[in-house]
Amino acid sequence: MKILQIESLTQRFGELAAVDNLSFEMEEGEILGIAGPNGAGKSTLFNSITGFYKYTGDIYFNNEKISRLRPHQICHKGIARTFQIPHLFLTLPIHENLRVGAHFGVRSHGAEEEEANMNDVMSLLGLQGKEDIITANLNLFDKKLTMLAAAMATKPKLLLVDEPTAGLSPTETRDLVALFKKINKELGLTIIIIEHLMKVLTELSQRMMIMVNGRKIAIGPPAEITKDEKVIEIYLGRGKHA
Amino acid sequence: MKALKLSNEQLIFYIVFGVFGILPIFLNGNLAIMNILTMIMLYAVVATNWDLMMGYAGIFTFGNVAFFVIGAYASGILAMSLGISPWLTIPIGGAITAGIGVLISLPCLRLKGAYVALITFALHMILEPFLKSDMGRAIGTGGAQGLLSIPPLSIGGYTFSSLQPVPWFYVAFGLSLVSLYVTHRIINSSWGLSFVAVRDSEPFAKSLGLDDFRVKLMVFGIAAFFTGMAGAFYGHFVGILSTRVLGLDLFLLLMVMQVVGGMGKFPGALLGAIIVTFANEGLRAAGVYRLVIFGAIVVAVVVLAPDGIMGAILGGGKGRRLDRFRRFARRAFGKETSEAGDSV
Repeated sequence: MKILQIESLTQRFGELAAVDNLSFEMEEGEILGIAGPNGAGKSTLFNSITGFYKYTGDIYFNNEKISRLRPHQICHKGIARTFQIPHLFLTLPIHENLRVGAHFGVRSHGAEEEEANMNDVMSLLGLQGKEDIITANLNLFDKKLTMLAAAMATKPKLLLVDEPTAGLSPTETRDLVALFKKINKELGLTIIIIEHLMKVLTELSQRMMIMVNGRKIAIGPPAEITKDEKVIEIYLGRGKHA
Repeated sequence: MKALKLSNEQLIFYIVFGVFGILPIFLNGNLAIMNILTMIMLYAVVATNWDLMMGYAGIFTFGNVAFFVIGAYASGILAMSLGISPWLTIPIGGAITAGIGVLISLPCLRLKGAYVALITFALHMILEPFLKSDMGRAIGTGGAQGLLSIPPLSIGGYTFSSLQPVPWFYVAFGLSLVSLYVTHRIINSSWGLSFVAVRDSEPFAKSLGLDDFRVKLMVFGIAAFFTGMAGAFYGHFVGILSTRVLGLDLFLLLMVMQVVGGMGKFPGALLGAIIVTFANEGLRAAGVYRLVIFGAIVVAVVVLAPDGIMGAILGGGKGRRLDRFRRFARRAFGKETSEAGDSV
């Protein structure tokens, strides 16, 4: 079943088309990796899907048009996201960061259901025991985990993650990759991941999309993409490809 | 840890109101001091609601004195021209102010920091010429003269008098108690969580399903309502009203109360109201130097204890406090241009 359909999405900032007539589709349960040079329009694409930016073109989620909805409404439809630079409620403990997602991101719930949901997410992401730590005092990895946990607490069907491994150590990167695999497998969550590390992308994603100057230059299974002449030429560079 | 913090807040809240509740017994109806106590109760309402907007929701508003004056005029005009009982016009004045508060919040919905400050200050700036204008006169503001004979409260056969301050005090006390109790409940509810969430990171809050517009409308509505009620009571209490209230004095006083008490630290504004009001009275002898001394106090507090008295009571490392202050300053005047905070 198609979970996401993007039809000729264009996002202009003045003369510059940050995303230029982009179309693609996603199957439910899929992990789609997006790569491309800085300024390719990857994060802009996320900001458009999640309603932060206004754009032209149409986006359908579960066959329902979600263009022109506001960010919180998009969240209620079942799309959650994380940010490239960690955004957190820095004066609040981890627990309360999650509560915002669990309370405002899920439509109908009782207090008990809310707690249970938060506890589930926290144990899934290995954050138990840290509930009361003010997030300003966390290290980068835990900050990213908390941001992800809060997004997960909204019970999404589609998760957009923007450069989750940036600034992390190799071990932390490995842990995070394992975590995304787990989330995808156990919860059947559809994931779009923006990532610069080719190794992470090829390991995680069923399909990859390479963006350059706001355009999709290739989309397909990682094995094909990494051998694609155009991708090698423009993005990967000679002698670097696997 | 949270339970402890909560009980500390509550403890201070109840002790202060407990002490104020029985204070009149020992003061023997001393007119000057009773009037000061009454004003403290009103300032506590205004400063606390201002803090709810600025300290908790992170909305930099400079329109709260305007809310106070709008409530005062609305209630005064209704009581004078239509002869409605002040007991009714005070809450109606609050409601009218809430309506104007929500209205002024509309252009602020998509704006941040200094821009919200500018728009809300515009309300403050417009108010004086409006109240003095022919338009203002037409709705009964009394023009440059102001309102000269706002009726006092009365209950049964008893009419409140400026010579008997104790009944006035207890009404202000009740208003303040209710208002601050509501604020306290809000802060510790999911509403309060939504305020702080929008303050800390608007993009993150939105991405988690929080409607930031609703939060802002709510904060403006609630704060304007209680501030308007306090203003309305003030009009009936003092009996005369002019645009002089809009001067810089009250504005600065209320700001200093929040800073001294600790922004975003309930019930800091209440403690600030008490200390600053007494300090203000004590400094009368200093004459023109009073504001200079106040300025120095603000600088000292911001540098030494950015979280004010409440911050000092509740603790917290100095580094963290300074960070908080920096974030505050950044949010107010920094360049948070990108909505989502990400690069393309």
